[in-house]
Amino acid sequence: MNIVGVAACTSGIAHTYIAKEKLMKAGKALGHNIHIETQGTIGTENKLTANDISAADVVIIAADIKINGTERFTGKRIVEVPTSVVIKSPKGLINKIQVELGLT
Amino acid sequence: MVNELRLSELKRHAMTGVSYMLPLVVASGLLIAIGNIFGGNPSLISNYKGSYSIWQAAVTLGVYGMQLIPAIMSAAIAYSIADRPGIAPGLLMGMIANAIGAGFFGGMLGGYLAGWCVNFLKKVVKVPNWAQALMPMLILPLLASVIIGFIMFFIIGGPVAAASFALTDMLQNMQGGSAALFGAIMGAMAAFDFGGPVNKVASLFADGLLLQGVCGPEAIKICASMIPPFGVTLSWLMRKKRYSKGESDNIKIAFPLGICMITEGVIPIAAVDPLRVVFSCSAGAAVGGAIIMLLGVQSPVPSGGMFIVPAMNNPIGFLIALGIGTVITAALLSLLKKDAVEEEPIEEEEAELDLGDIQIK
Repeated sequence: MNIVGVAACTSGIAHTYIAKEKLMKAGKALGHNIHIETQGTIGTENKLTANDISAADVVIIAADIKINGTERFTGKRIVEVPTSVVIKSPKGLINKIQVELGLT
Repeated sequence: MVNELRLSELKRHAMTGVSYMLPLVVASGLLIAIGNIFGGNPSLISNYKGSYSIWQAAVTLGVYGMQLIPAIMSAAIAYSIADRPGIAPGLLMGMIANAIGAGFFGGMLGGYLAGWCVNFLKKVVKVPNWAQALMPMLILPLLASVIIGFIMFFIIGGPVAAASFALTDMLQNMQGGSAALFGAIMGAMAAFDFGGPVNKVASLFADGLLLQGVCGPEAIKICASMIPPFGVTLSWLMRKKRYSKGESDNIKIAFPLGICMITEGVIPIAAVDPLRVVFSCSAGAAVGGAIIMLLGVQSPVPSGGMFIVPAMNNPIGFLIALGIGTVITAALLSLLKKDAVEEEPIEEEEAELDLGDIQIK
């Protein structure tokens, strides 16, 4: 699958980046293409490109707060979860999404 | 509307508010602390035509920041609910809350109401095509501000102000067992997830009370944020073999972060052994929190770690609470933790989570 995503937590200094790392690691280990943007207190980093988004099969939003730029994902399949889910079970989440989308 | 009222939604809006508010809280708090420590409690600037010192300027700036907190909280909550059109009415509701004495909690309430009102207006107000541009520019901000503003002024403002006064009064007069219990709960919550959502609920409460002039909970929050990194460091010094090479490296980072009251450095250590680490840290922080309340330690500054201890009313009491909490956390960790296994696990274990209710839109 091609996966894009956004990670954002409340204080925007730790869980945001842990969530990103976990998703990237799990996605790569399972053989997916994955790009994750972080929206921390410092601002947006690793911004998703229009190409990343248009190629994506699914958008994973791992956020405890409102994120910016959701209009970029109009028409995409979107999964919204709190950061705790991707920190605890990133592979489980990605596998479940794959099954739900029938892309196995 | 029913969906809007789900607890997880309400919480996400509040957390958005917190995330926008935090930098302001920290900057204003430190400005007040720096000004007070170096300037010897200078008075606020009252006459800008006269002369004033840089310490007066620092404290005054910090106080401005504190007064803005209900407004930024309210605006961010309304923004989280209703997007950009929520910001203008949200800011105004925060100003009302500040002015009528409904403080931070009044600001939060105003933010929710303003956000919902904007969303409601978006749905029900229909304008001809030529007037579409007037919706976000004029109709939504004006109507939402008038409707919720009048509700705040004339209906709910008074009761909310009275309620926050009663809460303040109760907390200020709490003594003995109930004070210790309150301190313990606050401390345990603040340490529980190392800067995660539970910690943020506790800090939200503490920051809110600070604006009402109740400074004890802030001292608990600061203490409970520093006990986990200090406790882990102390237990590492006591029993090095409890920690792997990688964990030791993380502890060397966690300690200096802890001095600055950044508790997140403990996360990598907690991630390896969550149950024991979280329990030990929460237990130590609960004791620390109880001691803070019993000794009546108060912090007028919400953030800054060791550097703002001199600004507290009872720095020695704070250090006693911090020390005892740290020792308890360290002792529990040394007792409960097993010796570290040096080999890195090949496959990271994942928690079994119920992913059943996750929906793909």
